[in-house]
Amino acid sequence: MSASHQMLLGHYLSGNSVVHRTPLALKYLIVLLVGAAVLLWRIPAVGLGALALSVGLFALAGPRVLRAWAAPLRHLWWVFVILGIYQSILNTPLFAVTLVSGMLAAVQCGRLVLLTTTQAALLDGLERAASPVRLVGGNPATIALAVALMLRSIPAIATSVQEVSDAAKARGIQRNPATLAAPVVINTVAYAQRTSDALAARGIMERS
Amino acid sequence: MIRFNSAGLVLPAETPEQEPRTVLAPCTLALGERRIAVIGANGSGKSTLLRMINGLVSPSTGTVQVHGFDTARQAKEVRSRVGFLFTDPLSQLVMPVVCEDIELSLKTSHKNRDARSAAALAALARLGLEHLAERSIYDLSGGERQLVALCSVLAAGQDILVADEPTTLLDLANNELLQDTLDALDQQVIYATHDLDFAARADRALLVSGGHIVFDGPAAEAVAAYRRLVKYGSVTA
Repeated sequence: MSASHQMLLGHYLSGNSVVHRTPLALKYLIVLLVGAAVLLWRIPAVGLGALALSVGLFALAGPRVLRAWAAPLRHLWWVFVILGIYQSILNTPLFAVTLVSGMLAAVQCGRLVLLTTTQAALLDGLERAASPVRLVGGNPATIALAVALMLRSIPAIATSVQEVSDAAKARGIQRNPATLAAPVVINTVAYAQRTSDALAARGIMERS
Repeated sequence: MIRFNSAGLVLPAETPEQEPRTVLAPCTLALGERRIAVIGANGSGKSTLLRMINGLVSPSTGTVQVHGFDTARQAKEVRSRVGFLFTDPLSQLVMPVVCEDIELSLKTSHKNRDARSAAALAALARLGLEHLAERSIYDLSGGERQLVALCSVLAAGQDILVADEPTTLLDLANNELLQDTLDALDQQVIYATHDLDFAARADRALLVSGGHIVFDGPAAEAVAAYRRLVKYGSVTA
């Protein structure tokens, strides 16, 4: 699994900074507040302010985390450029700046939670949050594990796409999405089967 | 003690023209030795035999019992006694950080988070892997990953370890390291392998060919029988 795929999503970077030690609930609250602010006050000062805040929080989390700030820009810069151009034409350049900066700030704050919180702590938090499902016979631990597996699957599938694409190129086959789809789907199903076997073998989640 | 009581797996024909496919012919075995190797060609039925011990595959005929528990009907009890190590550790490791994955194995036995972390570190220390605790599983070498996967299995405290070609993806140094680590375990270990030197270290070996156990005996003799099978097409040639 490539490091870039991990960094894009937010892969835990160990540390002992104040951000690392901040309770999970407070981290989520900051994400919520930043998201709400950029949605409610669509002015450049709020969007750019939120972006600056995200940089500040990354810096507070330490140099390794700060270096990871730019990862989404390296891979997804074209999304933000297209969005900016589209909004400049449809609305105004100032609105484009507001929207893109606000959006990036919200994404970065979300990533900061993943970069500074162990997955075990995320799972525990999610399990606590999902505890009301017990009232209807659900199991919060299963929900938390399902989310963890989903997070684990995204980079695995991205890696599969990359490998199938490389294999096609090596054989001189054009990068045709239709050609790539079948092997990627088969790889994904096989990956799901292996994961299911591993969980069952470890007694973590029994198969039906 | 692991018992196969006429246990086998026959898959039904998918079309009227096809014959049912025998993945593993019914066999009766009592597996009690400390180290048991399973050897044979790819697709011969080795993995099916191993998976039956953990209950990952249920026999279509007969039963498999581990310490008296039926692997098909009492899978939970069986899996609390039988750990399973896969060929590719990345298939096995669920969490992104080493200690988190070990903690996942301990979630049922250790409800308290701090106690769970301490137990995970202790489990890593038993295999000399404590320095890897905070590392991402994606940053480890193949050998380190397989040792971490082994640790995640052993952390749960099972007394039988089943390993399906655990050294196949490893280089020579890591291969030997893993073999030595497995050798040093107190648990009963049953492993499939293509490495005949590794197989020869076992107390007993089963040779599987075309879904049938064609030789069952001392490991050195099983390896010799396998060589004859490959060279002459028969274990007795």
